[in-house]
Order: sequence, then C-alpha cells, then structure tokens
Amino acid sequence: MIKNIFIEIGLISRFTGRFFREAFKPRFEFSEFLRQCYYIGNKSLPLVAITAFIMGLVITIQSRPTLVEFGAQAWLPKMVSVSLVREIAPVITALICAGKIGSGIGAELGSMKVTEQIDAMDVSGTNPYKFLVVTRVMSTTLMIPILAILADAVSLYGGYLGANIRGVVSWDLYWNQVFDTLVFGDVVPSIIKTFFFGFAIGIIGCYKGFNSNKGTEGVGQSANSAVVVSSLLVFIIDLLAVQITDILNLN
Amino acid sequence: MNPQTTKSTTTIDATDTSAVIQVRDLHKAFGDNQVLNGFNFDLKRGENVVVLGKSGSGKSVLIKCIIGLMQVDKGMINVLGNEVPKLNTTDLDKMRAKVGFLFQSNALYDSMTVHENLEFPLRRHWIKTSKEEVNDLVMEVLTNVGLPHTVDMMPSELSGGMRKRIALARTLILKPDIILYDEPTTGLDPITGKEISNLMVDIQKKYNTSSVIISHDLNCVKIVANRVVMLIDGICYATGTYEELEKSTDKKVKQFFE
Ligand SMILES: Nc1ncnc2c1ncn2[C@@H]1O[C@H](COP(=O)(O)OP(=O)(O)OP(=O)(O)O)[C@@H](O)[C@H]1O
Ligand SMILES: [Mg+2]
Repeated sequence: MIKNIFIEIGLISRFTGRFFREAFKPRFEFSEFLRQCYYIGNKSLPLVAITAFIMGLVITIQSRPTLVEFGAQAWLPKMVSVSLVREIAPVITALICAGKIGSGIGAELGSMKVTEQIDAMDVSGTNPYKFLVVTRVMSTTLMIPILAILADAVSLYGGYLGANIRGVVSWDLYWNQVFDTLVFGDVVPSIIKTFFFGFAIGIIGCYKGFNSNKGTEGVGQSANSAVVVSSLLVFIIDLLAVQITDILNLN
Repeated sequence: MNPQTTKSTTTIDATDTSAVIQVRDLHKAFGDNQVLNGFNFDLKRGENVVVLGKSGSGKSVLIKCIIGLMQVDKGMINVLGNEVPKLNTTDLDKMRAKVGFLFQSNALYDSMTVHENLEFPLRRHWIKTSKEEVNDLVMEVLTNVGLPHTVDMMPSELSGGMRKRIALARTLILKPDIILYDEPTTGLDPITGKEISNLMVDIQKKYNTSSVIISHDLNCVKIVANRVVMLIDGICYATGTYEELEKSTDKKVKQFFE
C-alpha cells in the first residue's frame, strides 16, 4: 500500500518531468491550447461564479454575530474580504475545477487511450503528449487563476449583499474598506498559488487518463482518481503556500 | 504469388524490387509473457498478406511493432528501407506518413466530425494545406468507401460498419504505400464484411498498395489474401496461399480451416 503510493508519486513526477521537457520545444499546438482554454473557462465559469457568490454571502452573514459580540461590526468587510480573497475563493475554485475539469480530462484521455485514439494520433504524425497533455496542462494553469480572480470579485460582491442584509453598508464604503484592507501580501500569494492548483489539476487529470487501464471500467477509475488525487493536492499545495507566506512574513 | 509488376511512381524507394516490409527474428515480451519469439516475415510490393493466428497470439502486437507504436525487445524491422527500431521521431513520422494503419477498434476521434477525422492526418503530416485540396481529398476518399453523405456527422452517429469504413478512409487519405489492417471485418455481419473485403481488394488495385491484414475471418481471408502467414507460438509457423494451407496436414494449421 505505502509502496504503491511511492511508486505512484514517482510515476507522476516522471510524467511531470516529461511535461517540462516537451512543453518548450516546437511544435507548439497553439490552436488546441486556445480551444482548451475556451472550453475550460466556458465550462466552469457558471459553477465557479455561483459557488463563489454563495460563499461570499454565507461567510459574511455568519461572521456578523461574532463581530457584533465584540462591537466590531464595522470590521465586517475587512474580515470577510481577507478570508475570501486569501483562502476561500481560490480553494473553492480549485476544488470545483478539480471536480469538473480534472475528471473531464481524466475521462476524455482515458477513453481515448482505451479506444486507441492516442495511438492513432501517434501514427498520424502527432506527438500525443504534446497535443493532448501539454495543451491541457497549460490551459488549466492559465485558466484557473483567471477563474479564481473572477471568483474573488464575485464572492466579494456576495459579501456586499450579505453585509447589507442586516446592517447598512454603502457600496462605496464597502469597497473602500475592502481595498484598504487587501494588501500585496493578501492578493499576490493567493493568485500565485492558483497557478500551482491549475497545474496540479491538469497534470493529474492527464496522468490518470494517459495511463488508464484497458477497458471502460478503467476510464471511470481514471476520472474518479483524478478528482481525488487532484483535490488532495490542492490542499497540500495550500498548506505549503501558507507555510511559505508565513516564512516570508506575508501573513 | 507472383508480385504484381508496378509502374514506378515517385514515392518508391531503392528497395523497390524486393520487400517493402522485412521482419527478422522479432522478439517481444510483456513481463513473463513471451508474445513474439523470433518472428520472420516479408511483405513484397503489391502483395496482400493475411496474418492468421489465435486471439492473443500477438497479431496486433506484431503490426504495432512494425509501425513503431511498441518497442521491440530484439530483432530487426525494415519498412520501406527504414530500420524502425532505430528511427528518431522525425524520421518515424516520415515513415508513418507512407504507412496506413487501421485500428482494431477503429480509433476514430469521438470529439471530431468525420471531416475533421479525415483531415487530421493530412494536416498533421503537413501534406495538404489549402482548404480546397483538403476538402477534395476528403470527399474523394469518402466516395471511395461509399459514404460521402456522412461528412458532417459525428462518429457516435455512425453504425459499426460505417465507422470501419470511415476509419479505412482515414487510412487511405494519405495514399499510403503500405496499409496495415487490424481485423477489418471482425464484428461485422457477413455481408458488410464481404463488402469491406472487396473494398480492400479494390483499394489495392486502385492505389497499388501492399498490405498486411490481420484476420480470422476466413471469408475475408479468401477474398483478399495473396498469401497467408500463420502466427503460432510467436513464430511464423507456416506460410503459403490459402489453398495450400487449407490442404495442410499439420494439426496446428488445420485447426484454423475446420
Ligand atoms: N500493452 C500491453 N501490455 C501487456 N501485455 C500486452 C499488451 N498488449 C498486448 N499484450 C499481450 O500480448 C498478447 C498478444 O496480444 P495481441 O493484442 O497482439 O493479441 P491479438 O493476436 O491481436 O488478439 P486478438 O485477435 O484478440 O486481437 C496478449 O497475451 C496480451 O495480453
Ligand atoms: Mg488484436
């Protein structure tokens, strides 16, 4: 069991190493990359936006009583914006994408593998690793940060509505407070980590799909374990990120 | 069989007179499972050779080694003058542009329309660039396989036999010198199977290709084979025309024709 985990980690590392060897050499599959970006953004945006909005709303509503207890309800926008931008919006975005995009990539590449479509690409003068893996990993690495930034904005808007349910906070006041609170150390590290989230989701989905076992059962398994492993990785990266920002005194 | 005399075209290379594919002493194992154990085989220009063998005897492995999809453990494979195991990626792609491969499972790209499926190898091998030329070629091969009306359909909308034909069209579109067919008629009804077999013979005449056909469908073998090779126990156990092998007294060979 433990041994298998280490073997898996080794194989994933090798797969990732291949990404760096192949990603920066021609031929670049630019149109496939754009297609994937469009597809990923298009597919996850509604879900990400709705979830982020609800999270913003709920966190604000739930934080209010505690702050009222301390007589600090004026701090509500401050507190909420920090927790949303630093942690909740990026992680929620990554988890949703792990579920939606990671499983999609795992299943798609898995079924392509099983039905020999990947071999067919190979004999058609196409390096399937470049055409399928590099483009997908690059587009998740690019799109998940963009989605996370959108999620930041939408969740803060949810927070604004949440703050206005019980109290009255004017539009200007709310956003002024939010932007006063949020400093470099809040925003930039949280965006940087989403690049890693995106990379992890892409590479795990591709790895699982590319190494799918024969048979349709293998396809389901690839999709499933792509979600499990990439969600887990999102949390591990999150944990590492918080340690690093702590060491750099950005917390 | 006497090799057909062929008019020499520009794509023909130095080894014209003899074999287009030579396989010598091919070994391939998966772990303890020794699949190919010193297989020898020649394909002459213009010839249709059928490889017969039990399920799991390594027929698919054999042609995957020929096209370079699998690494060989030991042995030599020469395709159109190229030593396949030693080719780098660029040369391998050049060689593959001249060799068509029909997959056992068709391997049509589900996310693309029939048209996109067919133009994929053309575009990827940098062959035709102008849109009209590509469209003309796509329609030409589709007409050859008798399915011009499916051009905008998705593979999932096609029947099994139609998919086989589209897959065949995708192999033909590069006008390959050699075609490797992996069980072209398996899973089809006898009538469709016969149509596909006749199609393969037509293609051989029309484009002057040489082909390796994997099959255990004797009806298909009868129609297409100039010569039959028996793959048993990882070696080329017997070879000859269909009629010769049918009369063979060897027990292992006879099994196939009963
Ligand atoms: N990728 C692989 N990894 C491990 N073993 C494999 C692999 N591909 C094939 N084999 C093994 O090689 C043997 C030959 O397989 P192959 O697919 O060539 O059979 P086949 O002759 O084409 O059979 P069929 O007529 O059923 O298609 C089988 O025992 C199979 O288990
Ligand atoms: Mg087979």
